[in-house]
Amino acid sequence: MAGHSDSSSSEKKSSEAMNDLPIFSAENMQNNMKVIYYSRTFMSIIGGVIAGILGFTSLMGFVFYFLVMAITSFGLIAKAKFSVHSYFDSWNRIILDGFMGGLMSFVLFWTFAYDIVHIF
Amino acid sequence: MAEDLVLDTAIRDWVLIPLSVVMVLIGILRYFVSKLMQSSQLPDPKIVKEGQVIVRARNLRAAANFIPPKSFRSRRVYFSNEENGLLFVPKGQAQNAQAQMFSDPNMAMDMMKKNLSMIIPQTLTFAWVNFFFSGFVAAKIPFPLTQRFRSMLQNGIDLSTVDVSYVSSRSWYFLNLFGLRGLFSLILGEENATDDTQRMMQMSGFGFDPSKSLGAEKDGLDIVQHEWALPKFEHRAEAVLKKLIK
Repeated sequence: MAGHSDSSSSEKKSSEAMNDLPIFSAENMQNNMKVIYYSRTFMSIIGGVIAGILGFTSLMGFVFYFLVMAITSFGLIAKAKFSVHSYFDSWNRIILDGFMGGLMSFVLFWTFAYDIVHIF
Repeated sequence: MAEDLVLDTAIRDWVLIPLSVVMVLIGILRYFVSKLMQSSQLPDPKIVKEGQVIVRARNLRAAANFIPPKSFRSRRVYFSNEENGLLFVPKGQAQNAQAQMFSDPNMAMDMMKKNLSMIIPQTLTFAWVNFFFSGFVAAKIPFPLTQRFRSMLQNGIDLSTVDVSYVSSRSWYFLNLFGLRGLFSLILGEENATDDTQRMMQMSGFGFDPSKSLGAEKDGLDIVQHEWALPKFEHRAEAVLKKLIK
């Protein structure tokens, strides 16, 4: 899928290793934000389908959503070779950003898969 | 009370899937239509010039600490003087610019078109869903909700003992409406016009561009304290060059 292959190739360095001052290239920062967004959306859709097929209900499903988001965060951090500060300006970005945005997509695909597999 | 209602397979085939497919297709159609209908109007050169002056002033403010103090000050005087002339004019021109923005036929047409292209497909689809797909249970949402949601989610269903998880197709429509935004942003590339909040932010930031932001930029530029951020830069450059030459 276009969004997913993008995320594996184009996280760009957004700050040079200056002595005291971090300087951020705005364009690269934005690109990295976009990569995070696409990754999270894609993973929440896939996670929704998986949760539906496995038959998770209510609380288990939401726990699974948080699990998927955590896996996505971990994958992004690993892709940034664990030096988060040279790609993003704070930890919060890579961990928390876009968290809630994927929730609606997750619920949609979760409902869809659950209904198709279990109810009908 | 049946814990797990068994629903007809025909509902899945003829309601859930077609509704989702139709919404995806309408979203794609709307994206292409809005691309086609973008009227290419030549921008007013005066407005563009003012916009570029603002961009330059903003860049100066952002990168102020990376140029030596004297050159920063000379640049600032250049801007403040130049904009001084521009600052006094907008007082009389402020009303003009805004009124012009809103009564300008092209711009008003653009905004109207964008509004309509958002609202009409949604309204039509909603009416279609209500007309054809009402009066039966369409889907089961995997998590339980309280009784308050019953009236919202179970519109056509008149049995009050059915579990709130079993929803009508209207709520499936709304679920699709919100959930497909993420999918659209993946399929259609960049941010497209399917996101309400983004469009509203764009529209509200539109009409005030020339008049007020000049004064705002001038004030911002006056406020900046210059801190020379690269004091030892020449020493560093010397050290690096020496290493290269060795």
